[in-house]
Amino acid sequence: MRVAVEQWIEEPLLRFIDDSRVRLVLLLETSGRVLAQHGFTRSIDVMSACALAAAIHASAAEIGRQLDGNAFTMLHHPGNEQQVFLGELPTARGSHILLTVFDDTTSIGLVRLYFTELSTRLAAATPAPAAVIPAPSLGDFESDLNRNLAKLFGRI
Amino acid sequence: MNKTPYAELLTMLSRHRGVVGSFVVSERDGLSIDSNVQIGVQAEAVAALAASLHRKARLACGAAGCGTVTFLRLDAERGGICAAGRDDLVLVTISEARANIGLLRVEMMRAARALT
Repeated sequence: MRVAVEQWIEEPLLRFIDDSRVRLVLLLETSGRVLAQHGFTRSIDVMSACALAAAIHASAAEIGRQLDGNAFTMLHHPGNEQQVFLGELPTARGSHILLTVFDDTTSIGLVRLYFTELSTRLAAATPAPAAVIPAPSLGDFESDLNRNLAKLFGRI
Repeated sequence: MNKTPYAELLTMLSRHRGVVGSFVVSERDGLSIDSNVQIGVQAEAVAALAASLHRKARLACGAAGCGTVTFLRLDAERGGICAAGRDDLVLVTISEARANIGLLRVEMMRAARALT
């Protein structure tokens, strides 16, 4: 099963997973379209997690703008056994969101450290956008999402 | 900004010859609670990695039946890292090769006992 929909994402993301020892990873566009995943076994879980991550990111960014004038770009939620970290990765193709779940085999300090490295590596690896990409229509969004899920779960 | 209860302790450790940085780090989170570092030291990275190192050393000593880790010393080409922990808190120093590690160890062990 492949990790990423596009090749340029694969190496930086695998390195992040390897270094940070996180359990689950999702890389998505701010619209909620999945770009890469690690640790999920069902595409339905990826779809739900992408929708939730995009919504949380949008809400957190807006709260940040209202409170501070700047969007919040990182969010950490520590649970009893598992923790969630969500962060924004700026690239030449726009901002992406990384959602990751980890347990006590690693720490938020390490996840943040390797997230910063991932941000640098991903920004360096991003190919220049070929042309102005129009915002996807609802139909395009669904077909793109389904195509990406099929790629990630080995159906293409 | 208000000083933390560890500010004086860290200042005292940073006065040692060859010490370029000292931190109090949460072992569980890998986040620095307070630090006193020279310019150029990547404080967040060192704090996260040193906390992870201390945790693994603690687990290794526990698995080997050696008991609690009291002091951890990592020597490198141009210096080293020392760590002494208590509960979830770890006291970490970064030193150059010219540092007097024996003296630093004594001070760190004493300081670690006072960590709460």
